[in-house]
Amino acid sequence: MLSIFKSIPSHMDYKGQKLAEQIFQGIILISAAIGFVYGLIVEQFGWTVYIVLAGFVVSCVLTLPPWPMYRKNPLSWQPLIPDISPESSQKPQETLKKKKHK
Amino acid sequence: MNTVLSRANSLFAFSLSVMAALTFGCFVTTAFKDRGVPVDIHVSKVMLKNVDDFTGPRERSDLGFLTFDLSADLQPIFDWNVKQLFLYLSAEYTTKSNSLNQVVLWDKIVLRGENTKLNLRDMKSKYFFFDDGNGLRSNKNITLSLSWNVVPNAGVLPLVGGSGQVSLPFPDAYETTKSY
Repeated sequence: MLSIFKSIPSHMDYKGQKLAEQIFQGIILISAAIGFVYGLIVEQFGWTVYIVLAGFVVSCVLTLPPWPMYRKNPLSWQPLIPDISPESSQKPQETLKKKKHK
Repeated sequence: MNTVLSRANSLFAFSLSVMAALTFGCFVTTAFKDRGVPVDIHVSKVMLKNVDDFTGPRERSDLGFLTFDLSADLQPIFDWNVKQLFLYLSAEYTTKSNSLNQVVLWDKIVLRGENTKLNLRDMKSKYFFFDDGNGLRSNKNITLSLSWNVVPNAGVLPLVGGSGQVSLPFPDAYETTKSY
């Protein structure tokens, strides 16, 4: 069951992760500022909370799934070096694959 | 930030921190506000009895009955950091045995969004006005005042006294009718 979830690629590249963090922080801070001003005007703190929650939902949709815009800068891995001895060829290949899929 | 769960975690934590900061901001914007309003109290009838207080001393105690009018506009108290007001009318007086007696006679909860204009006529007190002895008879200075607790969304729970107290004398003789 868990392996099915793990097989779904959810990773972002490094620049994508930075972009995602900046996007959700920006959205939540902006919605917080809007909500605070609006709540102060209509004298209802509940509206402030709802607007921040709306910002939370929007940023969840934008940054939780690994959208293509977060995967534009994949790491360029070193090409596989062919090994001399066939016995030890299995091990480094495996670690490389693991790193790639994480 | 590499997996969905770690992104969800940091997103949730950041949202909660922002929400806490906003709540603190809500408290700061209302912390230094004066929440007193003028109150008009008028006592139309005073009755005094001397009855057994089964919860108190063995001797008979003084029991006062008040009929009062109350009017106040509570609208200025409400803002975005007020959920409800707890109003209570208390009587304050001095007796020989105690220099300060405080008795709550009546209270009322005003929720946010309810009618904020109090205009009550001929109200009877909700709770018994028992003295713990005979200090009410011919007591010349019994002060009624309305105070309230402001229940906030965030921050302190202030206790505010309304301006507009009324002092009244109590009668020198007890009522003898048996109808309570």
